[in-house]
Parts: sequence; C-alpha cells; structure tokens
Amino acid sequence: MDNTIIIQMIVSGAFMGLVYALIAYGFQLTFATSKSINFGQGELVMLSAFFSLTLLNLGLPFWLMVPGGLLFGAALGLVVERAGVRLALEQKSEGWILLTIILGLLGFSAAENIWGRDDRPFPTPISSDAFQVLGISITPLEISVAIGVFAVMGMVELFKRKTLMGKAFEAVSADRDAAELMGISATRTIMLSYGLSGMVAAMAGILISPITTVGPTMASALILKAFAVAVVAGLDSGFGVVLIGIFLGALESLTSFYLGSGWREAPGLVLLILALAIRPNGVFGKSTIRKV
Amino acid sequence: MLKRFLFVRGAELIVLSALASIPLFINNTYALGLLTLLAIYGILLIGLDVTVGYLGQVNLAQAAFLGLGAYAAGICVTTFGFGMLAALAVSLLIGLILGGLLAFPALRLDGPQFALATLSFSALAITVLNEWEGLTGGAQGLSLDRPLLFGMLMDAKAFYWLCFIFLALVWVVMRNMLASQWGRAFEALRDSTIATDAMGIGTYRHKVAGFALGSALGGLAGGLYAFNFQYLQPQSFTYDLMVILLLGVVLGGRKSLWGAFFGACLIVLLPNLLSNRLLFELFSAAGLLVAVIAAWRGWMNLKQLPFQALAPIIAMALLVVGGYMVENTENWRKAIFALMLFSVVVGLPDGVMGFAARFLSKLFKIAPSELPTASKLEEALPSRQHTGDTLLELQDLKRHFGGVKAVDGVSMKVCAGQIHGLIGPNGSGKSTVVNVISGLYAPTSGEMLLQGKPLPKGSLFKVARVGVSRTFQNLQLFGELSALENVMVALRGVYHAPLPLVLLGFARAEEQRARADALALLKLVGLEDQARARAKDLTYGAQRFLEIARALARKPELLILDEPAAGLAHPDVSKLVEIIRSIRQCGMTVILIEHHMDVVSELCDVVTVLDGGQVIAEGTPSEVKRNPKVIKAYLGMESEADASCAVPHAT
Repeated sequence: MDNTIIIQMIVSGAFMGLVYALIAYGFQLTFATSKSINFGQGELVMLSAFFSLTLLNLGLPFWLMVPGGLLFGAALGLVVERAGVRLALEQKSEGWILLTIILGLLGFSAAENIWGRDDRPFPTPISSDAFQVLGISITPLEISVAIGVFAVMGMVELFKRKTLMGKAFEAVSADRDAAELMGISATRTIMLSYGLSGMVAAMAGILISPITTVGPTMASALILKAFAVAVVAGLDSGFGVVLIGIFLGALESLTSFYLGSGWREAPGLVLLILALAIRPNGVFGKSTIRKV
Repeated sequence: MLKRFLFVRGAELIVLSALASIPLFINNTYALGLLTLLAIYGILLIGLDVTVGYLGQVNLAQAAFLGLGAYAAGICVTTFGFGMLAALAVSLLIGLILGGLLAFPALRLDGPQFALATLSFSALAITVLNEWEGLTGGAQGLSLDRPLLFGMLMDAKAFYWLCFIFLALVWVVMRNMLASQWGRAFEALRDSTIATDAMGIGTYRHKVAGFALGSALGGLAGGLYAFNFQYLQPQSFTYDLMVILLLGVVLGGRKSLWGAFFGACLIVLLPNLLSNRLLFELFSAAGLLVAVIAAWRGWMNLKQLPFQALAPIIAMALLVVGGYMVENTENWRKAIFALMLFSVVVGLPDGVMGFAARFLSKLFKIAPSELPTASKLEEALPSRQHTGDTLLELQDLKRHFGGVKAVDGVSMKVCAGQIHGLIGPNGSGKSTVVNVISGLYAPTSGEMLLQGKPLPKGSLFKVARVGVSRTFQNLQLFGELSALENVMVALRGVYHAPLPLVLLGFARAEEQRARADALALLKLVGLEDQARARAKDLTYGAQRFLEIARALARKPELLILDEPAAGLAHPDVSKLVEIIRSIRQCGMTVILIEHHMDVVSELCDVVTVLDGGQVIAEGTPSEVKRNPKVIKAYLGMESEADASCAVPHAT
C-alpha cells in the first residue's frame, strides 16, 4: 500500500518535472549562443498561456490555438532579445540580468491588469480521467504533457541538425568569433535562439495550464524549479535536463508528501545552491578552462 | 582642494544635521514615520550597493536579509527577552554569518549564477520563515513590542533618532572603507577576477567579505525594521520588495552613498507618488524630459548607441501616456517600476546621483583632489643586488589538456637579475609555461622552485604572494578604476592599518603614501600625466604600460611579461624597450615572452626557445638565432643558406 503511494507520487512528480525540463531547455538554447538567459522566462510562460486562453475564448479550435500561442511566445522572445539583451551583449556587460528581470516585471504587471489576478481554468479536449497501469493512476493529460515536451525538444533538435539556420546556430554556439568570420551573423543567430526559447516557453505554458490553471503567478514557482534543473544539469548539458527534471519533479512530490506542501519548493532551491557550490557547471556540464 | 573638501563634507553635514533636527520642529507622526523608514532603507541600500555597485553582482537576496534580520530581532525579543541593542547585534550577526555562508559557494560564480544563487536563497528563506511556525509564527505573522534601550521606553521620536544615529554611523564607516584599499579591491575583482588574484589581492576573501558586509547591513536594517513596525510577516520580504530595492540603488546611482540615500528617499516616497495623480503626472513628465535631454546630449556627443537614446524615451513616453489612460496607477505599480528601472539602466547607467555629481562638479568647477608628489622610485621599487644565483628553476614541467601536450617536459633556469627571453612559434607552449608558473593552471607534473623553495601550484593568488608578478597578453586591467588606483590596489607592503582603524578613518597617512608610491611607478612607465584617467579610457599602448606598472607595484622577485609588445605601434615599442631597461636597472628579474625578435635581441641576456611544448634551444640571442633547430621550427627549413631570412624581424 505505502509503496504504491510512493511510486504514484514519483510518477506524478516526474510528469511535472518534464515541464521544468522543457523550460530549462529554453534556457539552454539562449545560453548556447549568447551565454545569457532570460530571467523573466516565467513571465513568457504565463503570458503565452494567457494569450492562448484568449484565443480559445475567441472560439479558435484547440489545434489552431497551439501554433498561435507558440508564435506569440516566439515574438515575446524576440522582444526580450531586442529590448533587454542585445545592448548588454554589445557592451559585454551583465546588464541583461537586470534588464530581463525588469521586462519580466513589466509583463507580470501587464498580465495582472489585462487578465486579472485570479486563476482561471484552461479548457482542454484531453481527458483528465485517470487509468490504471500496474496500480498507478495516470491521466491522458499527463501523457499529453510528456508527448508535447518531447515533440518540441525533438523538433528543435531536428531543426538545429538538419537546416542551414540550425547549423548556423550550432556554429555560433561552438565558437562565436569563428562563426562570424565565416559570415554567420551572431546577432541574428542570438535572435533566433531567443525566438526559439520563447516558443519553448509558450509550449510549456500551454502544456501545464490545463493542470495548474492560468494566473499571473502561475510561473513564479515554476521558473525557480526550471532554473534549478538548468543549473543542476548544467547550462550546456543537452538532454541532461530531462533526467534532472524528472528527478526534481519526483523529489519535490515526495517532499511535499512527507514534510507538507509548504516545503514543496525547498528541494529545488537547495539543489540549486548545492550544485552551484559543488559543481557550478552542472552534473552533465562540461568544465571550462580559464583563459587569459 | 579645500573647495572640494568643503563641498563634499559640507553637503554631508547639512543633510545629516537637517535629518537630525527635523523632529525638533515637527510633530507630525506620519512624517516621522517616513523619516524613520528613510533611515532604515538608507542602511539597507548602502548595504545592497556594496554588492550591486562595488562587487558588480546582481544580488537578489537583500530583501531576504532584511527579513531574516527582522525575524532574528523579533524572536530575540519575544522568545529570549533581549534588550534593543543586543537584539540589533544579533540581527547584524545573522546577516553577516548567513551572508558569508552564501558567499562561499559564490567563490567560483559570477553573473547569472550568482544572481540565481541569491534568488534561490531568498525563496528558501521565505519558505523557512513561512513554514517554521513554532519559531516565526508562520503566515500568521509575529507581533512584538519595542524593547527597552538602557531601561528606557522609546517613543517614536527617540526611535527615529536611534535609526538616524545608525544611519550616520554606517555612512561614515562605509565612506572610509570604500575609499580605502578594501573599496578598491571590491572594484578590482568586479573588473577582473584573474588579475585580482594575480596581483595578490585575493578575489575570494574580498568577495566573501563584501557580500557578508552588505548582508550584515541588511540584517541591521531588518532589526530596526522589526522595532519600527512591531509586526512581521514573511510576505513583506519577497521578490517584490527586492525589485523596489534594486530600483532604489540603480536609480539613485551605484557606487555612491548619496545614490543609496537618494534611492531610499525615492522608495519611501513611492507610495505617495503613486497615489497622488498630479504628482505622478509631473514625475513622469519630468522623466520624459530627462530622457529626451539625455538622448539629445548623447546624440550631440555621438557617445550613445541609438538604442540607448531611444529606448528610455519610449519607456518614459509609455509612462506618460499610460498614466493618462489607466484608471488606477497603484494597480500598475510594478509596470511603473519596470519602466523607470528600464530607462535608468539603459540610458543613465550612473544613476541620478552619478549624473548630478558630474553636473555639480562642472557647475562649481570643483577640481578633483590633488595628488601628492611622487615618491622616489627607490622607495616604490627597492632595487636589488644579485650574485647571479638561480632564481627560478623548472624541472621537467608538464601540462596536458586532455590529449594536447601543451607543455611537455620543460626544464629551465632563470638567473637573478637577468632578462630571460622565452620565444617560440605560435602554439609552442610559451603562454602555457607562464600560466603554469603564475598559477593559473596547475602543472600535470614537474617541479617549480623559486629561490630553492617549491612554488605553490595552481593558485594565482598564492604564487603572487610569494613574489611572482605578471602582465597579461590579453589585457586584464581594472577598467573602471583610474590608472593610479590600478597601481595602488596592487601595491605591496604599504597597507598595515587594521580594519577598525580604516573604518574610523585613521588610515589616511598610508593612503597618501600609497598614492605617492603609485605615482612613482606611473612615472616609470610614462603615465604620470594620466593618473586620473580610467584604465579603460587609456590608449592601447598606455594600457600595456599600465599593466607593467601594476605588476611592479607587487615589488616582485620575478616579473613575467607576456607579449608586452603585441599590437604596439613602433614608437610605443621603443618606449617599451626603454621601460624594460629601466626595470632591469633596479635589479629586477624578468621573463619576457615576445615575438618581436628585435626586442628580444636588444633586451635579453638568455633566450629559451620552445617548440611543441619542449625546449629546443637555449643561449644568448645571437646563438639562438643561428641554431638550425630554431630556424626549422620557425620556417621548416634546415639549410644554413636560408637562415638569413628565417627568423622574423631578425636584424
């Protein structure tokens, strides 16, 4: 009996963990090209979810809403790059940390006033009636989350490997200066990475909204865990985020079961600080050599 | 000089005495409450400015330290019955200790990772305050009574004066500290951690100290906050407050006590600003005006990028237009903060007070403080007599990177008082050898002896402390510091005063001495006229020379010059040769890595040639130039006939 509950906890947590992994994957995309990440990424998740909900309320069918939401997320990603990141990168400063926090705050306030402060349900055609697998109940909604996460990651990876733009992306990630000397515009590649990252964030928002409901604060806890996953796995760890995401999702699910739901956020935060202290490049990250 | 002193100190005196005396004239409790908050936020922001301004890190934990300090004081009073000062001491200590602990993992971190660590710490702190109900009362909050001070009950006025005294103390102490070697070290590590270690200043200790100090001030402010409001809730110290604090520091102006004070005023007045429609409209219109003027001036001087000029105008215009359109500005407070912050970060990076300071010193023609006369070079750089002993010995030194054998068994001896050239084709391992000697990399195997004693391995800082100093092929100056400060911060054997004396302002004499010594070294490299220029504003050649002066400030046993002539124009190369000559005359031992063969031939007593990570030749410059192995390494030719044109720049 007790064992079943524990396994149930782990499985449900793992599905949530996949969403953390997806957002963390979005961090990796921009970190690869520009060594920067959007500290307001949570607001992108939230704004895209609200926008998608509005599309649904306007009567758009679910399957048309998804690309609409993704495009919106990509557009927001581009705005963040233009307004918050490019200047700082040109000045070789770390001003982008502050600027992306500021843009996130602006987005938060806009959402609060446009859509209200209350949490709203997000209708979905996918059933949330559980079925049993070996005594563990799983909902089709959870399965859809897993499929969505892997579909987006797979598409982005295919894009990176098979298209010319994607190869430019890889080239800039490997060596920005060399890529520029070969005629690849780093600025445009960084734009591309922010667009992709915004799209990934939007997908995360669409996937998780039916489970958590939509509200201005829906992503504030989510984003901390995505940070934790990205840092613990390593910001250049590729699919390492999936493993760490699943691990963290399961861990926090167990934590809230044993210690109470108030402590739910704690394991991610502790892991993040520990990882920074012990392995700043992450479990799966490559260590770098200091150069002068 | 006197004018400057009067101005700066006068302004401080006027503001502080005004703050002290206001309660004598007014009895309005609301105004008194605002003043009390001003003092508390002043302390908090001065602390935040240490990390954000001086250490240059985005610190998202200051609101959490305020909360932790507040709860520490509250619990001390309610549970343990402490008096006021004891409780405040505990809040300060809590900030100091937790700040120090949090800074330990930050040792290896910078930029985004540091911000993430502080962000997680704050979220964790709020979780603990919320969930540890037995101690903190959880979300219910914690009520407390203001404890007695020396057995006296404090009314609002007395408490304000207490807060004010703390603010004045913090102000004076921090002013002294930030103007001392400590402040310079903080700024140095912000600009280059590698050089901070290589100059023996110590990145780690200063980073931890700076962060702990800033957090301690946060804790102290928290204690006062607890006794001011007498009711605490974890929700008061979340991310929202953090953003407001950042707004205060950035808008007021980083690296400035006045900036922190101005920021505190702003934070205290913000609620009024937002609730009063007219005030808000005036304020946003003024913001737009400033943005337009700044853009216009930037455009005239061609100093700004178009984005830097336009973005603040757009943001401020949004604020003005939005102000008319929305019904209730309070609901949009976060967006308003965001737009204001955005404009300042992009368009006015020095903040309001940084801008004002420049403007005022122009308006009143306040000259920068005078420099002392330079010391004699003999005092700044004691010359040495040598008997030609071996100073540095490398024994079978190896450094491999994965499969790449960058240095593969190098043995060499450097004699005291000589200039020892290290040359070789690109990729031959020269730079790796000096990076291993200076401690940037630990050797894979092999021994290094300095004056017969083993050299520390893999620590720039430790190597620098035993007397090896270096310059960098890719410049590692402290860009925001002036040329003079770049040298001062590296000076060895000048700063003796213990911290308490420094804090109380009793270390002026050694500061003056440091200035004089640094000037002497600047004179040696011909930069005494540009002592006040920021390092990043110097010409490329001047930056190279400044690195040499800074390395000499360590009074090293061994000086390593890593391609000092790289990229220099011809007149500068001749100047460089002169500088190195005069350094040799002081009896300094030098390892010189160089590609310019004429520089090497002119200066070096001995030359070691590397290729493929191994020594292929050693001898005087003319011997080495004739060595067939050297010729082959450079051009892949073996015949004596080709030798004449083989070695680059050979004359």
